[in-house]
Order: sequence, then C-alpha cells, then structure tokens
Amino acid sequence: MSFQEKNISVSLVNFSLILAFYLIRVFQMTQGGSFTSTNIFRLWGIVIALAVVVTIVGTILTHIVSAIIQAIKTGEEDPKIEDFEDERDKLIDLRGTQATYTASSIGVLIAMLTFVFGQPPLVMFSLLIFFGLLAQVIGDISRLALYRRGF
Amino acid sequence: MSKSRINNNIRKLRFQNSEMTQQQLAEKVGVTRQTIIAMEQEKYSPSLELAFRIALVFDVPLEQVFSYDAEADSK
Repeated sequence: MSFQEKNISVSLVNFSLILAFYLIRVFQMTQGGSFTSTNIFRLWGIVIALAVVVTIVGTILTHIVSAIIQAIKTGEEDPKIEDFEDERDKLIDLRGTQATYTASSIGVLIAMLTFVFGQPPLVMFSLLIFFGLLAQVIGDISRLALYRRGF
Repeated sequence: MSKSRINNNIRKLRFQNSEMTQQQLAEKVGVTRQTIIAMEQEKYSPSLELAFRIALVFDVPLEQVFSYDAEADSK
C-alpha cells in the first residue's frame, strides 16, 4: 500500500467516524426533543472543527507511522517515504474530487428540496452537513477504488 | 477496469537494460513505483511527457516502448 493510499484510508476512517458521530448526535437530539437551531449550529461547529483537526493530525500520524514501519522493514535510520504526488496520483485525486463534488451537489439539491416541500430550515441545514460528510467519504472510497484497480 | 488501448514493452525493456527494477525506473522518470506497476499492467496510460521520459531512459524511440491497439477501435 502506497503512502497516498494510507493517507486516504486514514481520511476515510476519520470522516466515517465523524459522520457516525454526527448521525448519533442528531438521532439523540430528535429523540430527546432538543433538535433546535442552537444545538444544530453548535454541532456544525464541532463537526467542522473535528474535521479540520482530525485531518491535520491524521496526516502527521500517517507520516510518522509510515516512517516507523519503513525503518523497521529496511533497518534505515532515516527512511525515505514516497510521499510525493506523481501524475497518476494527481489524476486519481481529481477523479475523487469529482466524485465528492457530484455527491455534494446532489446532497445540496436534496437539502434544498426538503425546504421547498415545506420542511423547516433546520432539516435543510442538518442535511447539508450530512451530505458534505457523506460526499467526502464517497470521494475517499472512489480514490481508494482507483488506486486498487490501477487507475 | 478495462485495459488501456495503449500497449507497452516496459517490462521487457527493463529486463533488457540489466534487469532494471521498477523502483529504479520510477526514480529515473520521477514517478512512484505504483505508477510503473499500473503501466506495466496496462491499467494506466502515461502522459506524453512521461512516455518520452521512459523512452529516453531506455534510449529507444517512443514507438518501441508504446504502441496503440487500433483494432480495438473497430470492435
């Protein structure tokens, strides 16, 4: 597994966990009667902050763990990690971004439709962040699939 | 995913060039080893620039490294 694949796998796990956390919190809110705009916007803040922190920490940890594994495998003191992006990596990243944008656009459309069909704005905002996270997960899955298949 | 219509002799040329490893070729042309593997399996067609760089490493004309499967177009 290349460094890029490891990085994407870590991102996939992180965003899946954040998505699960978001869904559980929304479910708890709806069950407990606390599904209010204040709580939803607070949850938005938590989710966005989590996504930023987890992405940065995940990338740093992937570098460190890859270096340790490489050092154990080769016995080198200063292991070289193949972390640069070549043309194939860039193309795969573009395809993944395309999948993310497509999923996200469909999500925004669905969220807007709920508003059009008489649902409160709270539902629209909840769906917006849900589809944002889901789009990231779909993008990561498509990137991994492309790496596994060759291109 | 279906194989590319661009065929190549990279594996053969590597062995003819004192059994050059995929890693050595990757370093010489500035890509990762995974990209060389994907090209050898004909799952990835390189850019024109990378194709020329590979031909330069083996010191052969481009058409000796890559060929286009024109018959697949008529199928």
